[in-house]
Amino acid sequence: MSNSKNDFALVCESIGMQFGGLAAVSNFNLQVHQGALYGLIGPNGAGKTTVFNIVSGVLRPTAGSVRLFGVDTTGLGPDEIARRGIARTFQNIRLFRNLTVLENVLVGHHVRRKATLGEALLSLPRYRKEESDMMCNATGLLQDVGLDHVANYRASALPYGQQRRLEIARALATKPKVLLLDEPAAGMNPAETERLMQLILDVRDRFNLTIFLIEHEMKVVMNICERMTVLDHGQIIAEGTPSEIQSNEKVIKAYLGGGAIARH
Amino acid sequence: MIGNRSNEFVRKAGPICVSLLVFYLFLFWAETGWDAYKVRILNLSAIYIGITLGLNLCNGFTGQFSLGIAGFMAVGAYTTALLTMSPATKSAVFFIDPLIWPLNSIQWGFLPALLMAALVSGFVGLLIGAPAIRFRDDYLGITTLGFAEIIRVIFTNTRTITNGALGLKGIPPHTNLYWSWSFALICVFVMIRLTNSSYGRALRAIRDDEIAAEAMGVNLFYHKCLSFVISAMMAGVGGGLLGSLITTIDPNMFRFPLTFTVLMMAVLGGLGSITGSVIAATLVTVAMEVLRVLEEPRVILGIFLPGIPGMRMVVFSVALMLVILFYPKGFMGDRELGLKSIRAFAARFRRTFLHKQV
Ligand SMILES: Nc1ncnc2c1ncn2[C@@H]1O[C@H](COP(=O)(O)OP(=O)(O)O)[C@@H](O)[C@H]1O
Ligand SMILES: [Mg+2]
Repeated sequence: MSNSKNDFALVCESIGMQFGGLAAVSNFNLQVHQGALYGLIGPNGAGKTTVFNIVSGVLRPTAGSVRLFGVDTTGLGPDEIARRGIARTFQNIRLFRNLTVLENVLVGHHVRRKATLGEALLSLPRYRKEESDMMCNATGLLQDVGLDHVANYRASALPYGQQRRLEIARALATKPKVLLLDEPAAGMNPAETERLMQLILDVRDRFNLTIFLIEHEMKVVMNICERMTVLDHGQIIAEGTPSEIQSNEKVIKAYLGGGAIARH
Repeated sequence: MIGNRSNEFVRKAGPICVSLLVFYLFLFWAETGWDAYKVRILNLSAIYIGITLGLNLCNGFTGQFSLGIAGFMAVGAYTTALLTMSPATKSAVFFIDPLIWPLNSIQWGFLPALLMAALVSGFVGLLIGAPAIRFRDDYLGITTLGFAEIIRVIFTNTRTITNGALGLKGIPPHTNLYWSWSFALICVFVMIRLTNSSYGRALRAIRDDEIAAEAMGVNLFYHKCLSFVISAMMAGVGGGLLGSLITTIDPNMFRFPLTFTVLMMAVLGGLGSITGSVIAATLVTVAMEVLRVLEEPRVILGIFLPGIPGMRMVVFSVALMLVILFYPKGFMGDRELGLKSIRAFAARFRRTFLHKQV
């Protein structure tokens, strides 16, 4: 039962991504259990974001396939994949800068709308109900990430750390089953990072999520990820629990500058 | 409960109904009492408000830099004209190549003709938009500009439908202040409703970051098409009203300068601001007429000054540059002028003023 493929929220099967002559990712395999908090780590340029772009439909892999809850999603567009339950954040924050904080979250809800454009223009009951539900929901999400006091600010006016949390709230608004976080702690100080990791754990339990998280600093994820994959030069060099990874020769080499030597 | 609800309805809708009533009474007064020249300017203002809002939806709110508005205006103007002209006028106007059946034998009322203009220009908008919106920024601008030119060239050459370069004359002058301002008000209403709805937020999200919008599940193709088509429909109806106002149209009216004029109105008012478009469209329309004196020969202080055709546009270009210099985002930016913002402005004004006094 437990090794039935449908138990996995996310499966990557021998994914390859070729940019011209550069193999950004090759033969990438991954199995993430439902409800897991899974890490993808590796030095800069290892191909982590490329994996995210493939899983979220931004890139079409040159080889292999992606399955979400047993359903093949390879080659679907990002919006379709979002509809099917994958939401993500971006390494270089991509908020809707001129929208308010609240509106950013509301855009996340848009994908789950049922009211048609006509209903919206005429402000018919179903649309009004949906809009007030969205508003409730969005306000709740902002409270969850601690941004309710800045709900009516322009997103671009927020400090960096809050922008990162807003991205998470916006992603949650799409009601995802799997949440992809691309270096969520980048640029944060240790205290902020600590709070963020707590938020990630809370969010997973509250919304019944599977979380797939990228980080290039190993320390950050060691405490919260149950399993992780280590990527270097587009290749998987290790897979396992944090303690297994910590003692892995190849990983130590890649991280202690061994990688730099191996880089020809 | 129900009582509460209807009370709330009255509280919200009451002031709107009253101001609409007052506004239409004003239009009645203007229509019956003002001289034709002023009425014409008022008509033009309303028509340009609608068209500018349409352009602002696409170029401002959705961030799709389209330059095809004159083409859609042409489609709407010709549709309306061909549907409202009487068969007798048509056979007189199409004296070289007769108009094809069934257009030569029908005459519709103004409202159905305008609705048809909306449908046809919306459809043409979809035909052009669907392939064009795959491009971004300047490329989209160039593509849509090209399409608008193609429409004009087609209209110049399909003589059995459009009478070619000779254009159409004797279009029934249905347009009056009620028609034109109802159009403007409907456009304002649609814009307010749309841009404040979930769909409007999605459009603004696309403007700010396409990649993020798509990752949040916003279907880029659908939403861009949506804004493109609505924009084309507004331009089409506006074109129809314009044709019926000035009663003659020909393909050369719908060259790029027309698009530029509307674009200028939207930019001056602020891309992404409804009130900005309304203000700027009105100001520019009035100024265009007032500045007509620059193009007419006249004698000032005994010196004869020949009129310089196109001088108005020179003045406008300079004005546009100045505005962009001092208000890089237009008068309103992407904000709206409302009671709230006026109050905020007053408060800020008072604060700085008092501060200086102390
Ligand atoms: N769209 C792209 N086109 C060409 N090369 C790319 C593209 N995206 C990423 N790359 C390259 O792929 C490699 C992996 O990049 P990335 O996945 O961003 O690494 P990471 O996120 O692990 O730091 C890098 O060498 C990068 O330059
Ligand atoms: Mg990266």
